[in-house]
Amino acid sequence: MTDSDILLRVENLSKHFPTKSGSVKAVDGVTFDVKRGTIVGLVGESGSGKTTVGRCTLRLIEPSGGRLIFDGKDLVSLSDREMRSYRRRMQIVFQDPYSSLNPRMRVEEIIGEAIDTHRLARGSARRERISELLARVGLDPEHGRRYPHEFSGGQRQRIGIARALAVEPEFIVADEPVSALDVSVQAQVLNLIQDLQQSFGLTMLFIAHDLSVVEYLCDEVVVMYLGRVMERGPSRTVYAMPRHPYTQALLSAAPVPNPKAHRQRVILQGDIPSPMNPPTGCVFRTRCPFAIDACAEVIPPLDPVAPGHYAACIRRDDPAVLSQGKRL
Amino acid sequence: MNSLPADIVLRVDRLRTHFELGSRVAKSVDDVSFDVKRGETVAVVGESGSGKSVTSLSIMRLLSPPGRIVGGQILYRAGDGRVLDVAAVSQKEMRRIRGREIAMIFQEPMTSLNPLYTVGDQIVEMIRLHEPLPKQEARKRARRMLELVEIPAAERRLDEYPHQMSGGMRQRAMIALALSCNPKLLIADEPTTALDVTIQAQILDLLRRLQAEIGMSILFITHNLGVVADIAHEVVVMYAGRVVEQASSQRLFERQKHPYARGLLACIPDASRDRTPSGERLRLNPIPGNVPSVMALPKGCSFAPRCPLRIPRCEEDPPLLVAEPHHLSRCWRHDEL
Repeated sequence: MTDSDILLRVENLSKHFPTKSGSVKAVDGVTFDVKRGTIVGLVGESGSGKTTVGRCTLRLIEPSGGRLIFDGKDLVSLSDREMRSYRRRMQIVFQDPYSSLNPRMRVEEIIGEAIDTHRLARGSARRERISELLARVGLDPEHGRRYPHEFSGGQRQRIGIARALAVEPEFIVADEPVSALDVSVQAQVLNLIQDLQQSFGLTMLFIAHDLSVVEYLCDEVVVMYLGRVMERGPSRTVYAMPRHPYTQALLSAAPVPNPKAHRQRVILQGDIPSPMNPPTGCVFRTRCPFAIDACAEVIPPLDPVAPGHYAACIRRDDPAVLSQGKRL
Repeated sequence: MNSLPADIVLRVDRLRTHFELGSRVAKSVDDVSFDVKRGETVAVVGESGSGKSVTSLSIMRLLSPPGRIVGGQILYRAGDGRVLDVAAVSQKEMRRIRGREIAMIFQEPMTSLNPLYTVGDQIVEMIRLHEPLPKQEARKRARRMLELVEIPAAERRLDEYPHQMSGGMRQRAMIALALSCNPKLLIADEPTTALDVTIQAQILDLLRRLQAEIGMSILFITHNLGVVADIAHEVVVMYAGRVVEQASSQRLFERQKHPYARGLLACIPDASRDRTPSGERLRLNPIPGNVPSVMALPKGCSFAPRCPLRIPRCEEDPPLLVAEPHHLSRCWRHDEL
């Protein structure tokens, strides 16, 4: 693989939030690549830092350290002015379709605002573009005259997607875009996301906590816990053979409505520690069924375990760990 | 005099709960019937507007106006052997039933926990409200309850306020509070929806273990079919205020007899089915359209406008039919499924 295959390289990204009692390392040394035309899933539980990573990649939050190489250019080094032309190329779709659309604006104004900001079209071309976008996401172009409250959750998410597409981006961060939707509507929006990804050749970072959605939709998956990457790799490999005890536990805990897809259950003890005071060494060791004394001493590096597949666990080759987490 | 078969703890019988808003009526629960057996977990599953939560609030008589039970019975076998119609008992009797006989836990633990009192004080208050125990005895029982729900350092946690606990811990404290008077029936309304999956797995495991130890029945309200497969013995599928399908969990996941349940299971992404062996993604099979509002239900079968099996007869409201022994379906074409 050459570097030109990679649209976004997140390199040693960190984000520390200062608080009265010291700094919280919400994201700590996160590294992964997003290849052009692929969908990378970013999964983790609350406090894992997945949303912070998503916002940092667009510089909606300023990273504290690391590099974000987008199409060969380090975004972190850009001035606000230089960043502006990159903003058109990168967009975000939010989780909550109820709070991410201005209730006082008509749908055509919401979408038109994005077009105006980047001066992409005016007059009749602008109107046409808005109708075309609405049709593209499966809404009636006539609906442009309406306000967000007149739509259902699924339709609002379509509006959010139309707004992101309005500026013809190459890269989209989708932050839990289907989590707030009813199950029967989720699949409609997932199909739309795929259609758009294919027809526009989009590259996506898909942030989610629903592991079944990620397994289905994503080419690669990055598993985070307490601000760090525990494991990453092609989704097929990671789901078939999770190598990190956290990934194993996470996959086994996810309830699936398919009695044939059950995995050997690993119930983790205790809660996710506070990111204010993470454990030394491996951050997962306090809940890990395989933890040994050595786990407290060093931060395990993210080492290759198979082509493109990495795991940050010093016991990753131990037969006990290897045999855990497979599908039954 | 009301009566119930011996193994049944709760019988919801033709329950109708409506919300009257001016001249409009939302039939949030419309002719819903199901039984909960002793020691069994019944899951009521549905999407938004299905009426699953209104059903549970009706059983607890916790509806806010203008919500009102307008028809049907909720028969409950009390600890003293009497069979009561919860829909019709006095407020005074209901206060005795709530907590002691039927307890409820919610998605958001702060719905039941008071932020101004310690967890211990709240459990002690609950116990002494229903039983004349001295304070010290009640506190001992409260500590045992926290131990039962696997809260570490229970003695110390008794003196903590809810905000000092993590989300999963608060959920456990709420369960301890709900179970402190040994209810026979626990109504759990989306108790794990706001939790992370590893914590959700802990709580489901805990509920299963408590059920085996205490023998209580659980009415589990959820939108998550994965959770249903995990915890339920019997499943009631609701859509737009009605029961559309009911069967044992094993049966339902094997074979759905209503196009709605079948559609729901077909549209939840499952890589083993929705990706080819070489990894190519197949398109998902969504249910078209949206969940209807109970204020504006279509004529006849409420699911018909979204249904791939729709026929002219669907304009006529189907009753809940016996599709197979112990498997009910509200669909004219159930025998073709």
